[in-house]
Amino acid sequence: MRILIADDDVLSLRLLQRTLERDGYEVTAVQNGRLAAEHLCRLDGPRLALLDWVMPELDGPAVCREVRQKGEQVYVHMVLLTSKESKQDVIEGLESGADDYLIKPFDPAELKARLRTGLRILQLEDRLVEAREDMRFKATHDPLTGLFNRGVIMDLLSRELYRTYREDGCTTILLGDVDRFKNVNDSLGHATGDEVLREIARRLLASVRSYDFVGRYGGEEFLMVLNNCNSPSALQRAEEIRRAIASAPIQTARGQISVTMSLGLLASTEWRLLPVEELLREADVALYKAKAAGRNCVKLASPDVPPNVSTQSVQEQPK
Amino acid sequence: MQSNNPPPNPIVNVAELLARVDNDAELLRELIAIFKIELPHNLCVLREAIAQGNLKRVQKSGHMLRGMLSNLGATRGTAAAAQLEQLGDSSDHTALKSALALFESELIDLLPELEACVAKARP
Repeated sequence: MRILIADDDVLSLRLLQRTLERDGYEVTAVQNGRLAAEHLCRLDGPRLALLDWVMPELDGPAVCREVRQKGEQVYVHMVLLTSKESKQDVIEGLESGADDYLIKPFDPAELKARLRTGLRILQLEDRLVEAREDMRFKATHDPLTGLFNRGVIMDLLSRELYRTYREDGCTTILLGDVDRFKNVNDSLGHATGDEVLREIARRLLASVRSYDFVGRYGGEEFLMVLNNCNSPSALQRAEEIRRAIASAPIQTARGQISVTMSLGLLASTEWRLLPVEELLREADVALYKAKAAGRNCVKLASPDVPPNVSTQSVQEQPK
Repeated sequence: MQSNNPPPNPIVNVAELLARVDNDAELLRELIAIFKIELPHNLCVLREAIAQGNLKRVQKSGHMLRGMLSNLGATRGTAAAAQLEQLGDSSDHTALKSALALFESELIDLLPELEACVAKARP
């Protein structure tokens, strides 16, 4: 475990350093409060600190205040180690943000025990952060495929569209649906269907750039948001994605399964700024057209077709 | 007849010092070397601050010396430095001068006592 010690008294600093190193700590020693605050505010800085009170540039309580204000990403456990021993000092020190208070000269056994307490608190904090991140992931991702869930991909799309119109750029919406997926579930079972969906998700993610987004839109429907991608290159990208699904069969526990995907494509430059739901409806119309055209192909959503007419006519076709 | 006065504090609390350095003679030697370098400078600052009546500096210097001496288990030196630190709150120049004299007298035998502790620690 890394620990920062700050003291302007060289003798005290050396004694602490040696005591802590002997106990297995990796010690960073500094002689003023400014340096201590800089180290502790770094994202990869030490998370345990022993601070003297009286120091040049920034005293111990000021270091605690600064770390509490700035370093909100990770918790730093700070112990004030000082010869100031009045009750008022102890209260002032703890109120500044210190987690513990020790009076000089330190008793080695007590110092080590207090630091172990600090470590336990940090471990607890780590577990809480991990649990929070796990919950955050579960709240934003589809549990089967690990892709963004519908709510998140819609939010991301909405944000990207606003940014695109503001910056006069282009965002491409790709709505993909696995062809005849019901047959997979019906003939081979849902477990195999899940295997297929997981592999499709993997192939989709592998086919887009790191700054594009892929989400599970519905059962076997996937929504991709391709950023800074204009119409001609968007069509080419959509074709690559289609091929990535169709080119090789998917290996499952029940054997190899060949699947294809139909895709509806909408490039924002060809549309005025409309609510996300309306643009997705247009992408869905294009997807239906791809299904109607024999599946395993990409169709472009065109604003020249009146939306009401096309939606009605295409919705009548089987998916 | 037995005296009711408690025995005077030792110059160095040897047991406390050895426990603090984990009985490590090498570390103790190193700390004494640091002390020999740091003390003259700190003492000089303290004397100057008292001569100039700079009470804030007296307090700070007394605080620094108290911390250093307490780490070395120098019981009497620590108490004398603490007195100087406290007097930094007052403007009693006479008291300050006499506290300085007491502090300096406590330092006279300190180094030999500390060096004697090295022999008691693990080589």
